[in-house]
Amino acid sequence: MSAAETPWLRLSPRNLLIDPVKVLGQFAFPAVVTLVGISQGDGGMPWWALPFVVAGAVVVGVLPWLTTFYRTTDTQFQIRTGLLNKKMKTAPLDRVRSVDLEASLLQRLVGLSKVQIGTGVDDDRITLNSVSRADADSLRAFLLARRAAAVAASATPATSGMEMRPPPVGEPAVGQAADRTVEAPRVLAQIDWSWLRFAPFSLARLVVLAAAVGALSQFGDELPVADVAESAWSWVRQFALAVVIAGLIIGGLTSWVMIAVSGYVVQWWDMRLTREAGSLHLTAGLFTTRSISVEEQRVRGVEMKEPVLLRLVGGAELSTLATGVGSGGVTAVLPPCPQAVARSVGADVLGSSTAMSLQLTRHGPAARRRSWTKNLLSTGIVLAGTLLLMIWVDLPWWMPALVAVLGFCLSAVVAEVSYRHLGHGTTDEHLVMGSGEVARVRTVLEHDGIIGWVLHQSWFQRRLQLATLVATTAAGAERVVARDIPLSAAIRLADRCTPGVLSHWLA
Amino acid sequence: MIEAPDAALLRDPLHQVSPRAVTYWRVSALIGAVVEWAITIAVYAFALPAIFDGERPRWALPVLVFLLVAPLAHVLFMPQLRFRIHRWEVTPTAIHTRAGWLNINSRVAPLSRVQTVDSTQGALMRLFRLSSLTVTTASAAGPLTIDCLDRDDARQLVAELTEITSASEGDAT
Repeated sequence: MSAAETPWLRLSPRNLLIDPVKVLGQFAFPAVVTLVGISQGDGGMPWWALPFVVAGAVVVGVLPWLTTFYRTTDTQFQIRTGLLNKKMKTAPLDRVRSVDLEASLLQRLVGLSKVQIGTGVDDDRITLNSVSRADADSLRAFLLARRAAAVAASATPATSGMEMRPPPVGEPAVGQAADRTVEAPRVLAQIDWSWLRFAPFSLARLVVLAAAVGALSQFGDELPVADVAESAWSWVRQFALAVVIAGLIIGGLTSWVMIAVSGYVVQWWDMRLTREAGSLHLTAGLFTTRSISVEEQRVRGVEMKEPVLLRLVGGAELSTLATGVGSGGVTAVLPPCPQAVARSVGADVLGSSTAMSLQLTRHGPAARRRSWTKNLLSTGIVLAGTLLLMIWVDLPWWMPALVAVLGFCLSAVVAEVSYRHLGHGTTDEHLVMGSGEVARVRTVLEHDGIIGWVLHQSWFQRRLQLATLVATTAAGAERVVARDIPLSAAIRLADRCTPGVLSHWLA
Repeated sequence: MIEAPDAALLRDPLHQVSPRAVTYWRVSALIGAVVEWAITIAVYAFALPAIFDGERPRWALPVLVFLLVAPLAHVLFMPQLRFRIHRWEVTPTAIHTRAGWLNINSRVAPLSRVQTVDSTQGALMRLFRLSSLTVTTASAAGPLTIDCLDRDDARQLVAELTEITSASEGDAT
């Protein structure tokens, strides 16, 4: 089967149902405005223009379907787009590293799905807008299986012949690869609705609430009730200030819980994390369903994060650190969930349980001292400034004193806590680092994913024999940092993780 | 390594950068200092009296002295310190660089993970026949730079490194 013979495929014809609607949706607002404009005055668009607007939208909406073609050849995935400026993108099949499906509500109604193919070149992914659900699934299965076969073939050249070419479709793939493709998907994690209790403790959606309040307060000034409100306010102040404040707090908390819970449900509905054909798959979403697949070889580690509120109730979040998947390489694979679940799923993803439960080595008294000095000093400077201001505006003496005491207590707590979060350790396969100021973060990185070391010593660190050790990597945030680690511990850790790299310089 | 748990230390990399780097660093620090002096003096002489109605506040003089002396100290002491700290070494398997003067930055990367080897030369560096060499890996956090090598040494090192790295396989991630 040569490349020339493989027929080009079109996107699903069901596209014709939704693309014009989408375009119309974008047109709708200006169109309505102009139409209303006509009925009120004599400028603007005459009524008979309406059919033209609709026709235009339909044409624009139909274009992508008419001009997009794709196909998979023996070695490549190809996509051709454009009406006047033709563009062709190709991805070698053995470079395909992730295949993600996403379906908006509109697309789900007609059974379509968007396919995004990642090839390891960051941020440049091949996107197939809306193919049918079945086609998308089979395309994904095909691409990932192909990739697995290609890897297996290149790993065992003796069984697959001289070339690294993957075996063509239809023919049974060689040995190991065939086993891997027929292996049934294994579920690593599934949504448990009792986890919903963690939703209000995850502040990620607080931004939404803040935005809503901001928008409302903008309207507040222009409402005609302002005068009424003012007289009501003076009445309230006389009688029921406490009640009003309590009401506001309860109202705020209730709306926060509602927003957090509904956001959680929308994002994580029907969440499933599975392992199949050497890839991890994550599917979730109530309205827009996302389905993310990352080849497991590309997953270099995991990060478990316990933000302070979530930690109070025993919750945690888990992300994977992967290379070549775009968007920072950090993918959240679990919603806020019990810490034990995050730990065990993390162990499942890593394929070893020790790294997730390893007792980390603390960084010692010098690191603790540095954490305290740094926090107290910076709080001191900020406090001095605010205190001067407070004295200047002539507040009662106990106010600055109270602020100072509270400020120092808080910074002492942060200093101690952020020291306790520091830690390092290594297993046979993984480097483990603990970090985080108020949130506790545990980052686990495969030894094999480490592509270099940076040992940074500031002037203050040098006097304390401390260093900041950075393991550089292509996965996730591209760096894993151990702050204020004793110098010799840093060197021994690095040497144990990447044997041989440092040995030439070890005294 | 095992005999005493606290004895693990990295030996200094073997090579120093070109001795001409000291003069280069001094000249570029001096250029920076001259610019800073000019701005400081201009502010002290013209801007301050204009803001404070012909008088200079009491703190102006100490600040002026500090702003004049600090760059001088930088010009006088930084180059030697930096020359003592900056070192590099390449073995058949790894590259180790050290840089900085107050803060010290040591970087080690296995050559099998190296992606590109670049050399750059600023206008002033060309005057001193110096050249900087940057080795990048697949991580944005980990480029290794050797500042101010002798130009010919740099050229030779680039050739050497490209030869070693092109021999290694895989996509180095």
